[in-house]
This record gives sequence, C-alpha cells and structure tokens, in this order.
Amino acid sequence: MSDPIIVLQNLRKAYGSTIAANDLTMSIPRGQIFGFLGANGAGKTTTMRMLCGLTKPTSGHGFIEGLDVWTDRYRIRSKFGYVAQKFSLYPDLTVTENLEFFGGAFRVPHETLAPRLETLLAQMDLVEKRDEMAGQLSGGMKQLLALACALVHSPPLLFLDEPTSGLDPVHRQQLWNLLYELGTNGTTIFVTTHYMDEAERCTEVGFVREGRLLVKETPRRLKESFKSKLLELEIEPVMPALAALRNAPGVLDATLRSGRARLYAAEPGRLLADWQRAWPFPDLKWISHDWVEPDMEDVFKAWSQGYAELLDLPAA
Amino acid sequence: MNLRSIWNAIRSVAVKEFLHVWRDKRILALIFILPPFFTLLFGYAFEATELTGVPATIIDRDRTEQSAKLAELLGKKKTFAWKTTKDTGADPDLLRLGVGAALVIPRDWTSTLEAGTPAPLQLFLDGTDATSAEELEGRLREMLGDFQGQENVQELTVKPLLEELPPEIFDVLKNQPEANRSKLKVAFQKLVQPWKTDTRILYNPGLRFIDYVTPGIIGLILQLLTVTLMACTIARERESGTLAQLIVTPLRRMEIVIGKVLPYLGISLFLIGVTIGVAHFHFGVHFRQPLMLGIICLLFLLCSLGSGLLISAFCHTQTQAIQFAVFYLLPVFPLSGAFAPIERLPDGVRFVSEIFPLTHFCEAFRMANLRNADFSFIAGDLLFLAVGAIVTCGGAAWILSRTDA
Repeated sequence: MSDPIIVLQNLRKAYGSTIAANDLTMSIPRGQIFGFLGANGAGKTTTMRMLCGLTKPTSGHGFIEGLDVWTDRYRIRSKFGYVAQKFSLYPDLTVTENLEFFGGAFRVPHETLAPRLETLLAQMDLVEKRDEMAGQLSGGMKQLLALACALVHSPPLLFLDEPTSGLDPVHRQQLWNLLYELGTNGTTIFVTTHYMDEAERCTEVGFVREGRLLVKETPRRLKESFKSKLLELEIEPVMPALAALRNAPGVLDATLRSGRARLYAAEPGRLLADWQRAWPFPDLKWISHDWVEPDMEDVFKAWSQGYAELLDLPAA
Repeated sequence: MNLRSIWNAIRSVAVKEFLHVWRDKRILALIFILPPFFTLLFGYAFEATELTGVPATIIDRDRTEQSAKLAELLGKKKTFAWKTTKDTGADPDLLRLGVGAALVIPRDWTSTLEAGTPAPLQLFLDGTDATSAEELEGRLREMLGDFQGQENVQELTVKPLLEELPPEIFDVLKNQPEANRSKLKVAFQKLVQPWKTDTRILYNPGLRFIDYVTPGIIGLILQLLTVTLMACTIARERESGTLAQLIVTPLRRMEIVIGKVLPYLGISLFLIGVTIGVAHFHFGVHFRQPLMLGIICLLFLLCSLGSGLLISAFCHTQTQAIQFAVFYLLPVFPLSGAFAPIERLPDGVRFVSEIFPLTHFCEAFRMANLRNADFSFIAGDLLFLAVGAIVTCGGAAWILSRTDA
C-alpha cells in the first residue's frame, strides 16, 4: 500500500513548439480519487493519454506499478481501465455485446466473465437495457456503459477523462456514487474534470495550467490555503456592480454567487474599511457585506488565473 | 501466453467485426447480391467474344462470276452482316455507309488472277477500336484463304499454267528415269499446294473464353469487396475513437489484425463458392483440382484482405480509405490479366502488373484449372500470394503498433 501506483518524472509532451505537458512530476498513492483539474487545453488529456500508453512522451517518464508507461505499455494494459472523453464504444453492438467484447479483449476468463457482466449490469442499472444497441442509449447510460467496459477486468486503476461532461445532474450523481464505491473498494481513480463540485469529492487534486502542475493537495488544504476569507457584497443592481467592482483598484476579479458579488482581492479588509469610509459608486446601493469560506470554485479561479497573492501555499 | 488465451482474444475481435457487417443491412445486401449478379453479367458479357454481325459491305467493281463467288462465300460467314451499298467510285466512306468494314474487289480482278498476278483486294476497316479492327482483318484473311484453297481457284491459276507449257516438256518428262520423275512431281506439287497445319487445341479445346475469364471474374469481384470492406475497418475505429479504446486493451496487434480478417475471410470464401457455383451450373465451366484451387483462393483472399487492412491502418478517415482503395483497385482492372492476357502488355508495364495479387491469382487459377498443372507450375504464384499476405497483414499490425491514435 505504501508505494505509489502512479509516478510521473519530468513527463513532457511537445507538439512542435506547443508544450502540452511540461515536466510533470508527481506521484499518486493507491486508493486515491485523484482529480486532475485545469482549463481546456491545459494538458489534462495529453497527460492521461501518455499514462495510458496512447501517446509517446517527448521526454521524462511515467510509471504505473513500477512499469514504464511507454516502453512497458503492452504489459500495463491489464492494470487499468480507460474511459475516453468522447463516447468510444461500438454503437451497433448491444450493451452485452460491448461488455463481452471488452471482456474478451482484456482476457477475462470465460467462467468469470458471465457473473462479472451481471454484476456490472446491475451496478450500472443497465439490466433492462442489456439487449439495446449502445448507440440508442441516452448520454448518461452510454457513459455508465463505458465505465462498465473499463471495469470489466476489475482493474486496480481507472482513468476517466471528463466522464461527466454533458451529463444531467442525476447521472453525474450516479456516476460519482459509483466512483466512490470503487474508491472505497481500493480502486485508484485518476479523473479529469471541470466541475468543482466534483473536484471537492476527490481525495486529492492537481491543478495544471499551460502544461505545468501548479499544485497538488487535498481539497481541504487547498481551500485553507487562502490567506483570508473572501468578501461578499450585496449590492443593487448587481450586474453593473460586478462590472464596476472589477475595475476598482485593488480588486483582481469579482464573480456572481447566489445574487452577491464575491471579491478576489489581495487586501479585502482594507478595501472594506475604505469603502465603509467613502463608498465610491454613487449609482450602486450597498446593502450588506459578509465574509465567506472559499470553496473549490475559488481555488480553481485563484490557481487558473494565477492569483498567487491570495494564497499562502507554495506551488508544487 | 497460451494458445487458448490467444484464440479467445482473436475470437472476441472476430465476433465483434462480424456483428458490424451483420448489423449493416445495406452492406449485407451488397455483399450477397452483387457477386452472383456480377458473375451473371460478366459471364454473359464474356461468354461469346467472337465478333459477329459487324455491318460490312462488298463493293464489286469486277462484276465477274469469280467475284460473285467470292461475295457468296463471304456472305456465309457470321462475322459480317453484309449489306449492299451504292458504289460512288471513290474510297468508301465507312461512316456514311453505316458499316464497320468495306471490301473493294477492284476492276479486272479476275483477269489479274488469270494472268497469275492477282491484284490485291482493298479492305477498309474502322480502326477506332484497334483490337476489333485487327481481329476483323485476320478473319477476312482466313476467309480469303478458304476461297483460294477452293478448287475453282486452283483451276484458275494452275490450269492455265499447264496449258501454256510447250508440249515438248511433257515428252522430256516422260523420258526421264522414274526417280527423277517422282522428284519433279514432288517439286511441282510443292509449288502449287498450299501449306497446311494440323492444329490440335490443348487445355481449352472448346476455345471457350468463359473458361479463360472465370478466374478473372471471381478475382475481380472478390478483390473489390474485400479491399473496400477491409479498408474501412480500422479507419472507422480511428474515426469514431474506438481505436484508442481498442489499443488500451491488452490485445496484441496481430490478434487485432487476425480477428479483423477472419470474418471477412469467411464471407469471401462463401462468396467464392457462390461465384463458382454460378460459373459451373449456369455457364458450364468445369473446375479441376479443387484442393489446389481452394489453396489459391485462400492465399489470394488473405493477400487481398491484407492490402485492404494496410490501407485502413494507414488512413485516418473512412473517406480517405475508400479513395485509396479505389486508386489501388483501378490499375488492377486493365493490368492484372483478369480479362486479357498480360502477355499483351509491354515489358515495363508487365513488371507493374506482377505486383498485383490478382495477376498471380489468375495465373495460378488458370494453370491449375485449365492446364491441370501440378504444384511445381503454381508454386511461384502461391509463394507471391503467401508473402503478400504476410507483408500486408504484418504491415498493418506494424502501423497499428506505431499509431499515435
């Protein structure tokens, strides 16, 4: 249990002059749900594809259970399951046929495949759909089937590339419940996502920006890494208020949260004191203010925008 | 890795691949309707290749008994459909006369025959289609030979010759010793008797073109289907993203390749059976050495499927794959010897045609079936097909292993 299941050592991928992954170094212990976060094009998918042996690293190394992800790629393929960003099952095969195919491809012995299929169908709530063509399923069911296909050989590690993008909240919930279940049973999960509520459910998250790993911490530690609580103002009318606050000196950004303006500023206490003395926006009506705990959305904003002055956590 | 596990992996891919074809009802209809249909179509098209009923005219400027006899004899042959046209005195205008050939018997032709200096007959041929023109010329020469061989011409040319000899010659001959006389007789006979050949046609005694062209028909249809179907398989997976999913499984490249080839091989073998059935029962084509033919077909199919797979592994989309398949198949049609012997091609082009599996398939098939030849005559072609199958399938696997999917 002690040695990490995934190790990255200066893993780099360059496409010409574009560096998709820039000297990534980190390790992920067994049994974690690791959330890999970053904006589109930050290098999440490239990193995952390198770990899956689909793309050759330009330099550096990645290891899964001690085996090199490129040179030993044929040997490590039975050790993980992979759910791609795009639906990539066979639409002209039924649910069962897809599962049977991947079972065969992953060399699941015949005797164990049949009971395994029943377990997965039940787990994914796909028993009634077992004879339907995969192409006819709804988006959420397709994703559940993709997950089932990736799990058919009971791998110790699971890669998921934005598994919930485009899913309705019910299916997102269902998928995450399944991931939790897998996590509690010891499966390591490496998942990329844009959804911060999902990041919150991970045991650890890593932020990438422009191919670089900025930080890797537990969600709790990340939220605690803000130097202070965030200032939230109730102002009317709120939309012009956001525009005005964003341009105010000392304010990095302002976002709308439940009808209030949340401020990102290096010294919010001083701003509040100044404004209480002299409110600089005569057209806007200040109703109240509040101090709130930062959530993952704020963490993501701070890391992806590079608001280092808000944080007292050293970068990875 | 034991054999059982390899077989299970291959079977998974093969079953999946078969289901793709089985579920696509349009492709399925294409596969099962086109081969027998094309066999019938091509079979009828090539059953009789002799030119018959070519519209032609005889312009008789001689107007003698002799020229009328020639016209009558020519009229009996089915190659030409003779019609009478007006003689303008000038060279015949084929297009205006609505004919493909015109034979002009020149004025005083009979007299020149009698004088022993026969004037040439003038033949005008439409050379647009070079092959047909050549064939018609040959056919007409043959007919003239027949005519010449007939006794009346013998009489015409030999009798006057004899009559003109001075009578003393016969006395001289009579006085010759027996040995000399028979020598002279032989010499004289040599002079006036046309040479003859005693022709025996071997291997395809009926000179049935359909028997010759059958492997061409089988090969062409099967090649078309196998290459185009196969060319789509990997390209489709690449296009839809399932290739990445396939590659992250522990399947080996060769297992993927073999698994993908197997169902199409099965379908193709079935189709060869159908095509052979149609050729045999409908067109009366006989098939000898079934085991040898089976091996030839199997290797040809593997080679052909391999080519399709190689195209597929190389291309990124199905559209590209189909374009490549078409451009691969295009030169095969005229250059493979499917419908005409490659011996007709110039040396440089023949070299190119040697790289097509279909060329070797047709060669080997004709050797085994028409010539009833044993293995030693076919070994070279079989070796080429076997190497082709290994190289193309191996190449596809190699591209797959290098893929940055």
